[in-house]
Formats: sequence, structure tokens, C-alpha cells
Amino acid sequence: MPLLLLVIVTILFAFQSIRVSRLMISALWLAGASALLSLVFYIMGAYTIAVIELSVGAGLVTVLFVFAITIAGEEPGELRSLIPRPLAVAIAILPLVVLGWYALPLTLAHLPVPETSLANILWQQRALDVFVQVVLIFSGVLGLLGVLEEAKAPLKYPAVDEFAAKRERELQALHQQSIEKESI
Amino acid sequence: MAIWAALLTIGLPWLGGLCVWMVGDKRPRLQHTLASGFAVVGGLFSLTLLRFVGAKTILSVPMGAAFGDFTLVADGLGVYLALIAAIVGGLAVIFSNDYMKGEAQLGRYYALTFLFVGAMIGLVLSGSLLLMFIFWEITAFCSYALISFHNDDPKAVAGGIKALIMTQLGGIGLLAGAITSYVYLNSYQIDAFLSRAEALPPSVLSLVAFGFLLAAMAKSAQVPFQTWLPDAMEAPTPISALIHAATMVNAGVYLLARFFPAFEAVPGWRLAVITVGLISALFAALMAVVNNDLKRVLAYSTISQLGYMVYAIGAGAILASQFHLLSHSLFKALLFLGAGAVIHTVGTRDMLEMGGLGRRMPFVRAVFVVGALALAGLPITNGFFSKELILEGGLAHGPLWAYLGMILGAMITGLYTIRMVTLVFYGDSRLFKAEHDAPGAMRLSLFVLALGTLTTWLLVGPFSRILAESLPFHHLHAEGTLMVLVEVISAPATWIAVALILGGMLAWLNRARFGSLIGKLGTFSDFLQSGMGFEWLNRQIIRVTQSTTASLRRTQTGLLGWNVVGIIAGLIVVLVLVAIGI
Amino acid sequence: MNLTPFSIALIGVLGLLGVGLYGLMISRNLIKIVVALQILVKAALLGLVAAGSISNQINLGQSLAITVLVADTVVAVIGMALAVQIRRQLGSMDVKELSSLRG
Repeated sequence: MPLLLLVIVTILFAFQSIRVSRLMISALWLAGASALLSLVFYIMGAYTIAVIELSVGAGLVTVLFVFAITIAGEEPGELRSLIPRPLAVAIAILPLVVLGWYALPLTLAHLPVPETSLANILWQQRALDVFVQVVLIFSGVLGLLGVLEEAKAPLKYPAVDEFAAKRERELQALHQQSIEKESI
Repeated sequence: MAIWAALLTIGLPWLGGLCVWMVGDKRPRLQHTLASGFAVVGGLFSLTLLRFVGAKTILSVPMGAAFGDFTLVADGLGVYLALIAAIVGGLAVIFSNDYMKGEAQLGRYYALTFLFVGAMIGLVLSGSLLLMFIFWEITAFCSYALISFHNDDPKAVAGGIKALIMTQLGGIGLLAGAITSYVYLNSYQIDAFLSRAEALPPSVLSLVAFGFLLAAMAKSAQVPFQTWLPDAMEAPTPISALIHAATMVNAGVYLLARFFPAFEAVPGWRLAVITVGLISALFAALMAVVNNDLKRVLAYSTISQLGYMVYAIGAGAILASQFHLLSHSLFKALLFLGAGAVIHTVGTRDMLEMGGLGRRMPFVRAVFVVGALALAGLPITNGFFSKELILEGGLAHGPLWAYLGMILGAMITGLYTIRMVTLVFYGDSRLFKAEHDAPGAMRLSLFVLALGTLTTWLLVGPFSRILAESLPFHHLHAEGTLMVLVEVISAPATWIAVALILGGMLAWLNRARFGSLIGKLGTFSDFLQSGMGFEWLNRQIIRVTQSTTASLRRTQTGLLGWNVVGIIAGLIVVLVLVAIGI
Repeated sequence: MNLTPFSIALIGVLGLLGVGLYGLMISRNLIKIVVALQILVKAALLGLVAAGSISNQINLGQSLAITVLVADTVVAVIGMALAVQIRRQLGSMDVKELSSLRG
């Protein structure tokens, strides 16, 4: 019972983070969902991953979000979705229906597999995974450095220049409007 | 040991391409040197494959149930083509040292060339149909990328796209054959296919046979798929020598030769192959007679000679066709590189603007004449022996009308060859620019190829022995060199053919006497020049393809939301299929 | 249908999956898209841990989940770096305004 309640509240928190229009509040709802999810992991018996999810999901990623939102700045106003909402809801729910109808009635018997420690699995049986993670982190760092390099000396694409020019014109128009409003 | 020989023969060119690309375009001299180094090492190393020729699998990498095993087999058919790819590729790279001097983006050029060489070697060494298909696609991509190397030239880009579309449509035939083999025989291995081809129902076997024939026709530019090869001459000339004369277009002939034992019993297949070869040989030879662009003449002559090889396979003379493949690779590469030296010096491809170049470029004239003699099929060159072997094989096992057509083709070959040589190197000088002979690296490649053209006919004995011993399904008969030579020289058909070729040459040299006849042929030659209607047909095909894609572009809204909707819709389809249990 | 812990976890997976997909379709702001991706990965983690717990190999499930978490974090970092840079260079984080791949 408590597990079911936790899971449902987690889903609600996640939905709130999508629905809210302010980015900072959205990141906070996501942090809450992470925390609840780590509780779910703990109840299911996966202690290590609960700790990791709490520190990474509710900690690291949330801090990253806050940084990014602060630097990038919030855009004013709620943006209307480009896809009609009923269509989005229908398309999002359809795979769940198919999956649920197929997977929920599954009653899997407990398999008698010898239990080995996490350290043994991580470093010996799944050593390739660890290697892949190292490569991933390395490439992530390289990608990040690449993005920052790009920022210093951005390539000139005509589309970018057109975009910047269009932006300038829009800002000018907004400026004009605010001046006219003031003069009225 | 054999594993290392095969893997390094494929891997050294790839490593070379990577190194040259990473050196960067700011140091072109280092790029040239590094490329030449890898070319020489790769070419010499490939000779080690000769030690390991045999019919058994060298390397087998299991890739799971769906993809079978990826295997490499070094039998005679694969090894000699791998040697050609490595050695001629190496010579073309050495030639590029001088030809591409001062060009931009050398890293891209060399990387693509080396990628192509490695993929071609992998294609012929592969023992699994699926692995062969993968390498087939890689070579098609490299060919496209190298044809459009000068991607600011719209003609080059159009030529590249045309080549890509046509060869890929043929590749579908190969993939269909591979999948059919897996469905019926539960294996992608070529050996399994050849040994158990009777297990396939006859209709399916015919489907696979004609599918492979279509793939080979598209790749080797046989009629009606021949229009991409002349347009591919926009590529830099060393690339034309490598890809469109010596290696990639051979892949189609290789495919037919390798699968011949499985398909020879299919009713109508051999006749279809002979007909395709005959039509291509004659048609392309006629087109070469009226064309004025030096590289286009060579392109049409490639199509024509490939038609000879295809005809030989249809007639069952596998050894003759492979020997002509070997000779053709060498002398056609020689002719293309010679043409490259001429074009590099003179700056134009139009033969009507050339003339009398023999005086200023004696070395290039000498090697070009050697190549031209081989193309026409005159003695001492390897082209003579291989072409006569083909004609004899065709006379012995094929229909008489086809043989007569091929003899006529030989005469027209002599005609356009002598036309090409005299227009370029002899006669009055039509240009007043100061010309110089070919520089050093070009001379080296040309010399090696000319030497090969003059001498490889001596290898016919070991060549046939290697092929006969390592191809258990083909039932070839090996013969010693001396026996083959005696057989060729003593057959009367040989001298009839030589007489006809010389007759064709004399006809050109005395063309003033035929003045009135040529005038009547005027409209016919216009028809020929416009490609006998094939160009119009291809333009229509490309127009329809592009208008279809233009109308489909409206589904690309460019908005992330719609893309995600598309992804999830696909996911729903897959889930429903899995849930239903298909 | 009896509510075993495994079924409850599956409900959680499906719910988070749905929310994440919905968010991916609806959002116009780049940062919101990264949020939706994070929710999808949470669904995957829950699924892995649930599979581990039902088959009595919880540690295998945890080690796989660690791999997924590392990959997802790298994606989030790079995604946000890109979003910030796009905001700086082009002045907008709206997907519609940035889309120049039209037709």
C-alpha cells in the first residue's frame, strides 16, 4: 500500500513538472519526483541505487538545472503547444495501454539465482559496462568542451545571421511598441 | 598467420586513410608522403596473401543468429582481385601525388580513396553474402563521394548522385539474394549457397539469379544501366583509373563469376548474360567512336570490355573472363593514368583541341600506345592473349551469332583506339600552350603499369592453377602457360580476329576515302551522341524520383513535437505487432 | 489482478513513461525537453530495478541502472550546455523559432 501511494505521487510530481510554466518551479518538482523515486527504490530493496538516484537526480541534475535556468534566463509567458493537446494525450496513452495489457498480467516466478554482491557484479561480470561508462563520461567532457569552444568562435551560418537579424527586428518592434505605449 | 594477412591487407589502407586525414590539410606535403608510404606498404603487403590461397575459411566472426557469421575466405578469385585493388590503388595514390598537387581538401581525398581500397579488398575476400553486401555499399558510397569530390561543380555532384542511385538500385538485387539464401538455406555463407543451390525451389533460384544479374549489370555499367559511368568521369582522373576502370566496376563481373556454378542451370540465365555482354560491348564501342571527350571514350571502352567479360562468363569460359579482368584492370588503369597526365598538362579533356602531343610528351605517348595496343588486342600485350581466350571460349561454348557480334566489336575497338591515339598524340598541334612531359611520380605509376601490361600474360599458367585449385565448385581446368600460348597462337580464329582489328584501324587511318559514307552516317552519329535515347530515359527517372521526394518533403515539418509523434507512432506499431505475436 | 510489488512498479514505469512522452511532445522550451527526457529515464531505472527485484538478482539490476544513470546524466549536462549556448547565440529557446529545417 505505501508503495502504491509513493508511485502514484511520483507520477503526479512528474506531471506537475511538465505542466508548470515557470522553469525553476519545474526543476523543483522534478527534484521532488527524484526524491520519491529513490524512496521507492529503497522499499524495493535496491539500497545503492536509491542513494545514487537521490544524490544524482535530486542533487546533481537539479543543481545543473538551476545553473542553466539562471544563466539562460526565463522566457516570459506561457508557450502554446504546437500539437493539439488531445492528440498528444492520445498518442502518449496508446503505447501504455498496449504495454499494460501485455505486461501487467505477468506473474513471474522468483528465479533461484545465487546472490552475488554488487561489487562483484559491477567490477567483474559487467566490467565492460564500467568501461563503457568511462568512455561515455570522457566523450561527454569532450562534447562539453566542444560546445564551449564553439561559443567562443561561432561558425558563421547564413541561417544564424538571418535569425539574428529577425530577432533584432522583433526587439526593435517591441521597443517601438513600448515607446508608443509610454507616449500615449 | 593467414588471419593477419587478410586483416592487415584490409586494415592497412584504412589506417593510412585515417592517418592522412588526421594530419590535416595544412601540411599537404606530409599528406602526400604519408599516403604514398601507406600505398607502397599496403600494395607490397597484399602479396603475402598469395601464400595463403586456399578454399577454406580464414576468419569467422559469429555475429549472432540474425546475421550469420562474417567470414573471410582467401580463394584464388578473391586474392587476385585483392592484389589488383591494393596494387593499382597504390599506384593511383602515387600518381595522385603529382596530379593533385595544389588541390584543397587532400585529407578527404586520400581518406576516401584508402577507405575504398580497403572496402574493395574486403568485398572480394568476404565469404558471407551479408558481409559482401556491406562492403558493396561502402564502395558505392566512396565512389559517390569521390565522383563529387569537387563539390562546388554541379556537374560533378549530379554525376555522383546518378552513380549512387543506379548502383544502389542494383544493390537491392544483391540484398534480396542474400536474404533469400538465409531464408531457404539458413546460412549467408557463399560456400553453403554454391553447394546447396539445388535445395532452393527453381522459381526462387531464377529470381535470385536474375536479381544478381541486375546487381552486376548496375555495378559494372552494362546496358541498360550504363549511363552513370560516362558521367562519373567528372571525378579526378586517378579515381577514374582506380574505381571506374580497375576495381569497383569489376565487382559486378566478380559477382557473376563467383555465383556461376549455382546459376548456370537456371534456364535462360546464360543466354541473358551473353546477350547483355554482347549488347554492351557493341553499343559502348559505337559510342566510343563518336565521342570527343578523352575520358568518356575510355569510359565507354571500359563498358565495352566489361561486356566481353560478361559474355565470357555467360559462355562458361570463367578462366578466360577472369584473365581478361586482370589484363583489363592493368591496361585500363594505364590508359586512364596516361590520359590523366595529358589532361593535367593540357588542361582540357576535349580531344579535338589536342593533337601532336607526342612530340612534347614522348614518355606518355609510349606508355599510352602500349595500353592502346592492349585495348585493341594486338600481340605482345596481355590484352591480346586474354581477348583471344575469351573469343575462343565464346566460339566453343556459345552461340555463333554472339561470336560474330563480338568479332565485330573487336574491329570497332581497334577503330576507336587508333582514333583516340592519333587525335591526341599525332597530327598537327592544335594547341599553342607550352606542354611538358609527365612529372616523376606520374612516370613511376605509368611505367609499372606498362610493364605489367607487357608481361602479365606470362602468368596465365600459375593464374589458372591458383583459381582451379581453390574454387572447388567451379570445375576449372588449369593449364600451363606454354600450352595456353601455343593454343592461342595456333588457333585460326585468333588470326582472323587480329586481321579484323587491323582492318578496323586501317579504316580509320584511311577515313578520307570513306568520306561520302561518313556523311550519310551523320544523323546516326547524332543519335549515338545523344546516348541512343538512354540519356532521355535516365533524365525522366531522375525527374520522377526528385519530384516524389519533393512532394514527400511536406512531412518534414521541422518541429520537434511532430517528430516525437512520429517516433511514438512507430513504437505503437511495433508494440502491437509484438503483442499480437508476429 | 493482485497488486504485487512488481505490478505496482510496472504501473509506475508506465505512468512515468506516459508523462515523459507527453512532455516531450508538448514542450516548446529546450529546458522543458531536457526535463521530459529525465522523466523518461526515471521510468527506465524503475523498470530495471523492478526486474532485478522480481528475479532475485537485485544487484544485477542495480549495476545496469547505474550505467543508465551515468549515460542520462551526461545527456542532461550536454543538453543543458547546448540550451544555454543556443540562448546566447540565437536569443531564443523556443523550438518553433529555432526550426529552420522546414520542408
